[in-house]
Amino acid sequence: MTTLAGHCHCGAIRVAFEPGKPVAELPLRACQCGFCRRHGTRTTSDPESRLHIEAAPGALSRYRFGRRATDALICRECGVYVASVIEVDDRMFATLNVAGVGFEAFAGREPEPAVYDEETDAEKLARRKSRWTPTVLVEANPSA
Amino acid sequence: MSLEGFSWRAGGCHCGGVRFEVALPAVVEAQTCNCSMCAKTGFIHMIVPESRFRITRGAERLAEYTFNSRVAKHLFCSECGIKAFYRPRSNPDGWSVNARCLDETVKLDLSAFDGQNWEANADQLAHLSLEPS
Repeated sequence: MTTLAGHCHCGAIRVAFEPGKPVAELPLRACQCGFCRRHGTRTTSDPESRLHIEAAPGALSRYRFGRRATDALICRECGVYVASVIEVDDRMFATLNVAGVGFEAFAGREPEPAVYDEETDAEKLARRKSRWTPTVLVEANPSA
Repeated sequence: MSLEGFSWRAGGCHCGGVRFEVALPAVVEAQTCNCSMCAKTGFIHMIVPESRFRITRGAERLAEYTFNSRVAKHLFCSECGIKAFYRPRSNPDGWSVNARCLDETVKLDLSAFDGQNWEANADQLAHLSLEPS
């Protein structure tokens, strides 16, 4: 299946998403938390897919809130929210903001509202491990 | 200048570092936009004149991003990335405030602005930053 490529507005953070299933079958969520509502996020994740995130030197800002278990990745240059990542047993998983990286393949789809307020920490971790996308995050070295 | 008929509403970014107040009527004319920037941020525009907007906290936390014509000053919180308001290219004498960032929702009269054809459409928005008489 064709790899989807995208980036934040200025291009300092770039992503490549390898779908493990047809794109039309990937979920599209509108998380209703205060962070996602303000960023207008439209997210997808899939354990059978793979995500590669590459950030230019100094471009990556990590924001933690709530239970502080995940890093929200934000471009320091243009402010666009790209993805949230969590590391579990040395493996990284992510949920990707397809609006932020401009994936046209999701255009026109109505997102499913998602509310996670009632989850315990253990439930949050289990959901992320089972539903988020295995991910590699590369921060380019300034001297590279 | 009178702000009769307007109520001051508060809002802010996610981390709480940036706060603002905006004077809004009971029903607010607002726009979504399909331009390259707004598509990535989901910004819902409430364009107001200078006198109907004030930053109440955290002006020093704002980062500024410009591109293309560099007229619009895209501002976002350097901590949480939220773009709660900015100086729009269509109305650089006023402000565009993000309806997503109000503490309490207001009634919106929402229309879709075709920002992909900005030059052909921008004059539709010019009146929104006129000061109340």
